[in-house]
Amino acid sequence: MSDATTLLSDELKSWIGREVSYPAREELGRASIRYFAMALQDDNPLYRDDAHAQAAGYPSVVAPPTFVVETCQYADGPPNHHGYIGHNWDLPIEGCRMIRAGNAYEFMRPVLPSDRVSVTWTLEDIVERPSSRGGTQLFVTSVARHYDDGGELLAVNRETLVYQPLGDGK
Amino acid sequence: MIAPTKQANEVRPGDALPTTERRFSAVDLVMYGAATWDWHRLHYDAVFAEEMKLPGPIIDGQMYGALFAKQAMDWLGAKAFVRKLDFRMRAMAFAGDALAAEGEVVETRAEDGHAVVVLAQRLRNGEQLIAEATTEVRLPA
Repeated sequence: MSDATTLLSDELKSWIGREVSYPAREELGRASIRYFAMALQDDNPLYRDDAHAQAAGYPSVVAPPTFVVETCQYADGPPNHHGYIGHNWDLPIEGCRMIRAGNAYEFMRPVLPSDRVSVTWTLEDIVERPSSRGGTQLFVTSVARHYDDGGELLAVNRETLVYQPLGDGK
Repeated sequence: MIAPTKQANEVRPGDALPTTERRFSAVDLVMYGAATWDWHRLHYDAVFAEEMKLPGPIIDGQMYGALFAKQAMDWLGAKAFVRKLDFRMRAMAFAGDALAAEGEVVETRAEDGHAVVVLAQRLRNGEQLIAEATTEVRLPA
């Protein structure tokens, strides 16, 4: 039996353009920044030593470049059934696994521990494409815009996730 | 201590970044998840990974962005500013895998009074390409 099911339903299409905002919860803080650097085995003193960072021209330690777009520190709810607390559209897609296709980050200025960061996620597009495993898969592109307390844009994260039917694939 | 920030005239197309290799244990995956407030089961729960038809807990692809940025900062120095980082997944990698980061300069240009260095970077698991990135870094004037 051929699998003619179209993953991209009209209902799913109606999700395109949706937007969700998460207010800043607190300052990012030095602890979050050092924790992230430790997880990356990154001993760069820019991320843990104010004197060193100031000698390099920064007001204090700074966050590693991608920290602001990778942390879910903006979240404030319980984890979902996958254990995830970050932004999730909860798209009505059944029987698929989700994997990452790629991210395009853009940064406007170094992020400081004193920054209070709010985030707005926009569901930019959903497209269905043939899969090398046979059948099709869904590419979901979302954009997260991160703002500081003054409403200035700090960073943009354009993220593409792929939903692959579990089927009998490996 | 990291090296002093490179000057624009010290960076030329074709220059190779030092290749570094790191093996990612289950502990490393948990640390990255925790440090990013991300407790997704895919990155530590072997039973869940099996249900998702994966051979084991998967390295969070998002971390590749951090690894590419680290390689760029380690090479270019404290005053370098990562302006753009665009990375694409090419294959999955799993707990226990060792990933080598490699890269080179593909372009340098002047922009708004700054020097901009464009890097092509890759993560490999042995011969297998795991992810690749195009990274734009601004150097001080």
